[in-house]
Amino acid sequence: MPAALPVNRGHLMTQTRALTTPIGRRILPYAMLSPAVVVTLVIVFLPMLQAMWMSLHDYVLFRPKSFDFVGLDNFSKALADPVFWISLRHTVLWIALTVPAQMLLGLITALLLNQQFPWRGLARALVIIPWALPSVVIALMWVWIYDSNFGVLNDFLLRLNLISHSIPWLADPDTALYAIVLTLTWQGFPFFAVMILAGMQAIPSSYYEAAAIDGASSLRQFWHITLPGISGVLLTATLLRVIWVANSIDVIFVMTGGGPGYTTYTLPLYAFIKARTGLDYGYGSALAVCFTILLLGFVILYLRRAGKNIG
Amino acid sequence: MKTKLKSAAFAAALMIGTALTGGAANAETVDFWYHFDNPDNPMSDLVAKFESANPGITINAENVPWNSYYDQLYTSIIAGNGPDAALVKLNALPRLIEMEALEPIDAQLGSWDGKADILPNLFDLTAAADGTHYLLPVQYVVLYLYYRTDMFEQAGLTPPTTCEEFRTAAKALTRDTDGDGQPDVYGFGFRGGKGGHDHWATFTLSRDGAGFGPGEMTSAAAVEGTQYVLDLFQKDHAFPPSAPNDGFKEIIGGFKAGTTAMTIHHIGSSKGMVEALGDKVSAVPVPGCGGGHWTSFGDESSAVFSSAKDKDAAWKWISFLSSAGNNAEFNLATGQLPVTLTDSKNWKNHEARFVDATVASLPFAQLLPNVSETADFTNTVWPVSMQRALIGEISATQMNAEIDTLYNK
Amino acid sequence: MMVRNRSLIRRLLTVDLPMLAVLAFTLAPYLWMALTSITEKSRLFTEGPSLAGATLANYTRLFNTVGFGTNLLDSFIVAGGTVIVGLSLSVTAAYAFSRFRFRGRRLMMLQFLLVNMFPLVLLILPLFILMKTLGLVDTYLALIIANSTVAIPFSVWMMTSYIDAIPRSLDEAAMTDGCTRLGALWRVILPLCMPGIIATAVYIFITAWNEYLYALTLGGRNVKTITVAIQTLIGEYEVEWGLLTAGGIIGAMPATVMFLFVQKRLIAGMTQGAVKG
Repeated sequence: MPAALPVNRGHLMTQTRALTTPIGRRILPYAMLSPAVVVTLVIVFLPMLQAMWMSLHDYVLFRPKSFDFVGLDNFSKALADPVFWISLRHTVLWIALTVPAQMLLGLITALLLNQQFPWRGLARALVIIPWALPSVVIALMWVWIYDSNFGVLNDFLLRLNLISHSIPWLADPDTALYAIVLTLTWQGFPFFAVMILAGMQAIPSSYYEAAAIDGASSLRQFWHITLPGISGVLLTATLLRVIWVANSIDVIFVMTGGGPGYTTYTLPLYAFIKARTGLDYGYGSALAVCFTILLLGFVILYLRRAGKNIG
Repeated sequence: MKTKLKSAAFAAALMIGTALTGGAANAETVDFWYHFDNPDNPMSDLVAKFESANPGITINAENVPWNSYYDQLYTSIIAGNGPDAALVKLNALPRLIEMEALEPIDAQLGSWDGKADILPNLFDLTAAADGTHYLLPVQYVVLYLYYRTDMFEQAGLTPPTTCEEFRTAAKALTRDTDGDGQPDVYGFGFRGGKGGHDHWATFTLSRDGAGFGPGEMTSAAAVEGTQYVLDLFQKDHAFPPSAPNDGFKEIIGGFKAGTTAMTIHHIGSSKGMVEALGDKVSAVPVPGCGGGHWTSFGDESSAVFSSAKDKDAAWKWISFLSSAGNNAEFNLATGQLPVTLTDSKNWKNHEARFVDATVASLPFAQLLPNVSETADFTNTVWPVSMQRALIGEISATQMNAEIDTLYNK
Repeated sequence: MMVRNRSLIRRLLTVDLPMLAVLAFTLAPYLWMALTSITEKSRLFTEGPSLAGATLANYTRLFNTVGFGTNLLDSFIVAGGTVIVGLSLSVTAAYAFSRFRFRGRRLMMLQFLLVNMFPLVLLILPLFILMKTLGLVDTYLALIIANSTVAIPFSVWMMTSYIDAIPRSLDEAAMTDGCTRLGALWRVILPLCMPGIIATAVYIFITAWNEYLYALTLGGRNVKTITVAIQTLIGEYEVEWGLLTAGGIIGAMPATVMFLFVQKRLIAGMTQGAVKG
């Protein structure tokens, strides 16, 4: 910790101030929050409540006049729907594979980008590229990379004699989901790299110097200095990424549309297809609500366990 | 009559007004939505031509990305922000009618002198179930069979006319050309992804007794058709292994690259084919199976919406697009075929052999049933069940049963 | 001498080489795209992407006839506006979450997350109607607001964790020196969490830059971002691969170039010296 200050004096001053302006002080946090909260409430919460309201009705977009209240019918229909469970299973698999992969690669990259080397600036900028590309471009590009006719991946593996004939990565139900996981890892690891890199800047280099003097190896320095120093940022970034990956459907939609069959269906994708393509907003909203509730449950559990390190 | 305003001030006021109020009603603008496979903005010429012939009407033509076109359309209509006129396909008609979104154009058609110039049966094909007309055809394509002339010559084959001949050819053309023991050329590029139902339909719906009516999809003939497709993939390996997920870019790309010897598509892709393959590509009508012949009629029409601010102006615009001369210009930009007799007679935009294949297929070119289930069929039911059948998760009987349930439950 | 050489080799082995490996993985698809974008159209499917006969035709076409320049500008305005709005709202909110303990704090933080958990597609319709009522459809403001709501929640959380890493004693020291709370935020905390602010700004910019659904629904003829423009290159029967890849290559550049300049501020040691003496 930094050199000790006469903190007591500071506290006393703050307390004195508190005694003189109690109301001002108490309102301040709410005042600072309110713009962000108000904007989110109006622009997102209102539509969200409307969507939740839709989920309690039988609402198909091309029959806009019929808006019958059906209570929880859509939800019981969802629970009985085999595609719902398949999608749920894939969602869990999807998150469990993609987020750790992104995080590990991002962490390694951040560690590298924190070192001193002459072309560091360029490297940092180039690493952003997968993250900076529009999803549709990424999806189409990787579809082409995976293509079994002239895809560069098959070409590459064939040349190295690792496979004997082209694998249709996206058409084979055994490989489709994992192929997309790889694409998403490529797309998302720069997020972790940048976030962790920024977090590392707050760790005073005096710690490392002291540790080096004490003869600690790089690994020990990493374990005892770096990791604890970035733990808050790391846990937050992971949480945010889980939410983002769970909800991300752009890439899957363009790469396979959920196919072959239902092999790459995730729950938000199913909701999307039902609502947008099938125009069944009642059922689609119900699926979305189920997904949000499940994700919320996970988030609450996560916060309970990791909570003390985050805020 | 509307007095003439200074066009510059008018346009400026229009823009400001639109920007500030999000599209204030102005009786002389027509918001027109379209989707072109041509990103070079070709609509601007037609718009300019129309506007100079019809001063006082401004056309706001918007190119909406194809893969979100109908999503956008339905959402905007519901939100009250739909266009005044737009390109619409027949399979969207049932839903739009249910939403009461379209304006009937029978009256306008009756007094339009361009009506007689439209290809004969197009109005029948695009009418609603009750006979009312909402759609004005503007272009069309018909699916035919592309084949590699050089590969056929090499194998001593002639283009197939029946399913049996097709299967023989497909098997013969699936071969190993680079000597590594694995086939690298396949007989047919089958489209298993979304939009591929036309391929399946050619082999299935052509059969006597197969159809979408009660019991027709589960009939022996229909199941035989689906099984024919599955056998070609699973037994003969005549489709590339990526077939279950292949969309049009894969089948076209595969054909151009020489991975497949045949595929089914239409004249819209012929320019690119000729660019890549020259004389090595040609086309014939699709083979007939089980006593019948079925190929897909690719329609595209324009329609006026019931929410249009100025329906007359909107009608003037869409009838302009379907009149002789303008229709030719329209189709030069889109790469499809004109719907007017005048323009079809002198059509030089595509190579003759592809036009011939199209025209020869017209007698048996058909559309899917004009009911709202068809949208679900093409978007989700067919792609998913076809993929599952191809990868062996379900059988031909089960797949057809799912389709039957959709239409007849 | 010897030590220098050894440490140079060491550095090359432990830093440069792994970095190159990571960059190879990162850039390979991008370079493949670049190759496709300069391949001559007629060769693309018959021989695959290649340098032979390389041409910039796709790029000229992209800007001249497709009008990509306008799209880039629209994207830039939307993304830039979102950064300004998003950052200003998030930083103040994050400071409040980090430095104060007040009633409803946990709940409000959770509320921000909840907002991002709901599939966007179901929000499109109500939001569209809302924007239409406000008369904001097809304006930059609509997109900036919509994108901000997506970006703010995550930004608040990230900034909170960055601000948490700065010792509170610094706030208090500043206030002892006569600053108000807001003054302490502005003068002391913000400069210290500059890396965090940069990272968050990058995150907001990229999220807004790549956003498609809102841009499609709330945009129109006046506001057409590159994500929508690129989608128009995917037609019903043809995909304009050359234009698409060219658009992708160009599309990734603004963020990359900006980060190249901005990453200089991502350096350690900003908290040091702040409390000495």
